[in-house]
Amino acid sequence: MQEPQFHKLTPRAIRVWQWGNLIGNLFFFAIPAAYAAVFGVDGFHYWMVVVSASIVFIFWMLSVFLTPYLTWKHWRYAIDEKEIDLKRGILFKTRTLIPLSRVQHVDTRQGPILRWYNLSSVTISTAATTHEIPALDSVLADRVRKQISTYARLAEEDV
Amino acid sequence: MSEFQRQHPVAAVSRALDLIRGNFITILVFLFVGAQSETFPFLWWIGGGFAFLLILGVANWWRFLFKLENDLLHIKSGIFVRKNLYLTKDRIQVIDITSGIIQRMFGLVRLDIQTAGSSSRQAAIDAITRDEAIEINNILRRESQKTDSATGEISEIKQDTDEILNRFKIPHKELLIAASTSGSFGIALSIIATVFSQVEPLISESEMFEYLFNMLPSQTDTMMIISIILVFIIFAWLISFFSTLFTYGNFTLEVKEKEMVVSRGIFEKKRITVPYNRIQAIHVTEGIIRQPLGYASLHLESAGYGDDKGTGSIVMFPLIRRNKILNLLNDVLPDYQKEHEGIRPPSRSLRRYLFRSAFFITAATAALYWGMNFNLWIWIFPVLSVYWGWLKYKDAAAASGDDILVMRSRRLSKSTAYIKKNRVQDATLIQSPFQRMRNLCSIQVYVASGDHGKSFRVRDLEYDDGLKLLNDVRKNGVEFSDLLDEQIVSGKVPLPGWNL
Repeated sequence: MQEPQFHKLTPRAIRVWQWGNLIGNLFFFAIPAAYAAVFGVDGFHYWMVVVSASIVFIFWMLSVFLTPYLTWKHWRYAIDEKEIDLKRGILFKTRTLIPLSRVQHVDTRQGPILRWYNLSSVTISTAATTHEIPALDSVLADRVRKQISTYARLAEEDV
Repeated sequence: MSEFQRQHPVAAVSRALDLIRGNFITILVFLFVGAQSETFPFLWWIGGGFAFLLILGVANWWRFLFKLENDLLHIKSGIFVRKNLYLTKDRIQVIDITSGIIQRMFGLVRLDIQTAGSSSRQAAIDAITRDEAIEINNILRRESQKTDSATGEISEIKQDTDEILNRFKIPHKELLIAASTSGSFGIALSIIATVFSQVEPLISESEMFEYLFNMLPSQTDTMMIISIILVFIIFAWLISFFSTLFTYGNFTLEVKEKEMVVSRGIFEKKRITVPYNRIQAIHVTEGIIRQPLGYASLHLESAGYGDDKGTGSIVMFPLIRRNKILNLLNDVLPDYQKEHEGIRPPSRSLRRYLFRSAFFITAATAALYWGMNFNLWIWIFPVLSVYWGWLKYKDAAAASGDDILVMRSRRLSKSTAYIKKNRVQDATLIQSPFQRMRNLCSIQVYVASGDHGKSFRVRDLEYDDGLKLLNDVRKNGVEFSDLLDEQIVSGKVPLPGWNL
């Protein structure tokens, strides 16, 4: 079977995810903090707090230094006249096929971190599901959005 | 009709009842809470709730205005947030005139209007006289067709599309079987639990329990618990029996040239029109009780419109003998290619199926048995779960025809889905680490259905077969020739296999 032309995301995506996880996953330190606030830090509870805090810390470090790289390494996307093909997943590998004739709308989005790195994400919605290509270069994202909407318009129009 | 007008005041009541039905679970929860609080009498909760709903209903009725002008139906609704809905006649797909039990008491009807969008459920006039409804219907449907065609010929053809080509009814015997095997125990049980929580204080206050103890043959605690459970189950069964009977009584499926009409209900009549081009998938469900009896139920997924809950699932036929399914489907949907050579998961995925079904149940059973000294009999559950896993393995299959995908799988009931390839919204191949080790994969396909989608999944197929299925969706059923030399690796099974 002929494979379509797959593209990788831009390596800047790794930085975006690193910053995002660095800030976002700080939230999980609230769990040991809340535990300490409720039960105090005496005896047994001290060890509970230490263990849970170190688990959260390890998770936090991994989410900053390992998973963004792996996510980037496994992300592939391809767009041609007939469909969008997305491959992703570190442990659970998924490959999703979206026929272009099913695409209802495409938008590009840009959060603060994405804007700092001049990136955008492209969101593809069908009548049933929504998929995202995270972190493309803004210019490229716009081109992808146009490409998808042009192809989608060419494709037959009904649900 | 060119002036704004209100509905018949009965709309207020029917609106209030709709609210009760829509928030049934919430109301149940409130009743539970209400029963617990000592300070606030139970009757006040109910009375206040009903008064509130009635006020809401009246306000809704007061603020609901509609007018018909120049082939445009304009509906204003909403108590605080005013919503203006404009329905032009060329966007209207289907108009359904139905009558619920309240409407029928006053000789009124309800008008449902479907457009192509998903906001269609908003466009309904709850209570108007039949004459008005027919007038609106005539203006919005027939009139437009006449003005479209200057000559009389075309309007005649249009008339023909409304003719009923074929009509299917459910026989009484099968309706009874459907009612007695319907699995809507959950709702029934929650109703009973609510009632029981109200009645329970009364029972324990009087010497009802002692009386029961004396009545029952053996007075051990286990027997007591078992008999209470049995009574509960019988009540639940009775409720689900009658609710199914009333919902699906008078079931009729009418086949027209461009649409099919499902009408059902004994007291509360419902009519759903489904144009064929809105059908996204059909699936046949063989319930765990119905399957041994050789029965199944037919459902379809439609885009944009379904029941009130926003799912697009519609019961196409509540109960049918398995060997008659293909005939019915051939009559109703002849363009669906039905028989295929299916792909089964390879034998090495059997252990994954067994593990998935049995693991948690076995662990829980072991904990209960050794931790809490339960009876030896609870080991029947792990055995059953292994059997369940084996059934799931046996029933999992997928096939890809010229323009159609067939996906068969089992949760509790066995479901066979037919999906037109050009209706697939997206197709996904998923591989977990363990599946990758064994070179297996799961396939999941989404179709549009109501406001959200519906997914169908077959697990643990051979990886190459999964890729082939995915590639078949890609081909959109057009370029089939260059796939012919690819060999299917796994065992083959006839799908759907109802004639066996």
